[in-house]
Amino acid sequence: MSTIAQTAPRAQARRRMRVDGWRWAGRIFLVFMLLYTALPMIWMLITSIKSGFAATQFPPQWWPDEPTLASYQKLLDPQNSVGQDFLRFFWNSLFVSTVTTILSVIVAVPAAYAFSRFSFPGRNFLFFAVLLRNMFPAVIFLVPLFILMRAIGLINTHGSLILTYLTFGLPLAIWLLKGFYDNIPVQLEQAARIDGATRFQAFVMIVMPLSTPGIIATAIYSFIGAWNEYIYAYTFLSKNEQLTLPVGIQRFFSENTTDFPGLMAASFMMSVPVVVLFLVLQRYFVRALTEGAVKH
Amino acid sequence: MTIVTGKAEARRRVQPGRSGALRRIWQHRADYAYVLPAIAVMLIVIAYPIYYTVELSFFKTPPGLQLRDKTFIGLDNYTTILTSQVFWKVTWNTLIWTLGSTFISFVLGFATALALHRDFIGRGVLRAVLIIPWVISAVAASYIWKWIYHSDFGIIGAVLVGLGLADQPPNFIDNVSTVLPSLIVVNIWREFPFAMIMMMAGLQTVPDQLLRAAKVDGANAWQRFWHVTFPHLRNVSVVTMLLLAVANFNSFIIPWIMTGGGPSNASHIWITHIYELAFGRQRWGVASAYSVLLFLTLMTLGYFYVRALSGNERKEGSA
Repeated sequence: MSTIAQTAPRAQARRRMRVDGWRWAGRIFLVFMLLYTALPMIWMLITSIKSGFAATQFPPQWWPDEPTLASYQKLLDPQNSVGQDFLRFFWNSLFVSTVTTILSVIVAVPAAYAFSRFSFPGRNFLFFAVLLRNMFPAVIFLVPLFILMRAIGLINTHGSLILTYLTFGLPLAIWLLKGFYDNIPVQLEQAARIDGATRFQAFVMIVMPLSTPGIIATAIYSFIGAWNEYIYAYTFLSKNEQLTLPVGIQRFFSENTTDFPGLMAASFMMSVPVVVLFLVLQRYFVRALTEGAVKH
Repeated sequence: MTIVTGKAEARRRVQPGRSGALRRIWQHRADYAYVLPAIAVMLIVIAYPIYYTVELSFFKTPPGLQLRDKTFIGLDNYTTILTSQVFWKVTWNTLIWTLGSTFISFVLGFATALALHRDFIGRGVLRAVLIIPWVISAVAASYIWKWIYHSDFGIIGAVLVGLGLADQPPNFIDNVSTVLPSLIVVNIWREFPFAMIMMMAGLQTVPDQLLRAAKVDGANAWQRFWHVTFPHLRNVSVVTMLLLAVANFNSFIIPWIMTGGGPSNASHIWITHIYELAFGRQRWGVASAYSVLLFLTLMTLGYFYVRALSGNERKEGSA
């Protein structure tokens, strides 16, 4: 008895130490990941407030001797040709992403609802066909889509981008929303039906409001996807005034590669809208992604 | 998974014997209206391009998109590809790129999710910061890292020189042996947050009672992780890794912007190579044949993806 009484606290202490060891390992690991994640972004910001001369020093100035917002002023000045281009790219991106977002919600909501609720023949096949779209890279579709878009006269228009973005945003949108609809009890609709609502009315008045978080998440996802898309925009658009930001920035800076502060400032400004959107609505976003994926 | 609203179920009960496929499709005609817009868009932008790619892969095509002048050459495009040295080089790169990025992103993301699982002050902020690389554009990420790796003014080179680890700043992305690992680091930077989100969600589904029971039985932290948490996350892990693998296999922006596939093809992966063949050298036929091969590879992956997904569904159905 006495030996047990003596060893027990010691074993407990040892176990606590081991637990603490894991906890410390976790903390150190988190610090490492934070540095890995944040340092490149911090370096982008520091570079963006340097002058072109200060950026090309060796060893680098860890903090610029004379911080300046000149790069940002140049990009945002509508009088300047650089600013004109940048603002136009920004506007194009905003337009394409917004239209894509609205359309994909309109298309994805009924489809996700049907996949969640109805059991029509071919339902599983269609659902997986929609999901499989995610598997295939843009490149497979590029050549034929380029030809198709040229045939229907959409090349060099934002319409070609919106149509294409719709399809690559849809699978995930449908998948995410389906997760939400699966979690809404079907009895709610049945109650509405008993009260005399048609199936469509029940859908619009009961299910839609309940799935608002899912719709918000879907909308953010399509917006971010469209905002960041590069390869189709790079291929379909050639006129300077139609380019979206990712392509615009690339074209712009491949001509004057030495302007690293300008490039970093542009990268930063391109990231601001999506990061802000994401930070404000991240709760919905993370929840939707995980409800679709984990609980399915 | 078979939630059925009133009308359909009632209908099925009324006519149990008649189950001709056409009849069932007709009975559910209204249901298709909900899916129709999605399917229509998909057909235009997916089915047609796939058909066209397969067709083009059997033709020799003139440069420019004057595709009326194409000539049928059977499987020649495929033999050209499979006998070229570049193909094997690019395939090897693709393997390293896909497996390396997927595995490391997953492990880092999973470990981060575990470390973030316990509540502490600032956890929400930390999580948000860690996710940001995944949200920002890959184009921006490529430029940021290109600048970090810069051979004259890059910060990593400067740090290495400052610490006395190198005599002069190393050239990361113009060097045949370091270019691919350097790009993988960038890719992981963008991707581990995705694995982190997925695994965090997965962790929330691990029942607390099980962990506590294991603790009572004397399992240490590692044993609890290995015997309780990890088996519980098997499905989520499989789905996450497959999604990562597909995304990595299909990635284009990072190698394209940072190196364009160079130096001497050292960072070309399938996708960038196909793009260059098609839009750079205008060899549409060969590029299409490449796409078909890619397509077949992805179908194989896709088979496992669907199996993993329907595995989830079955499990949920029984629960």
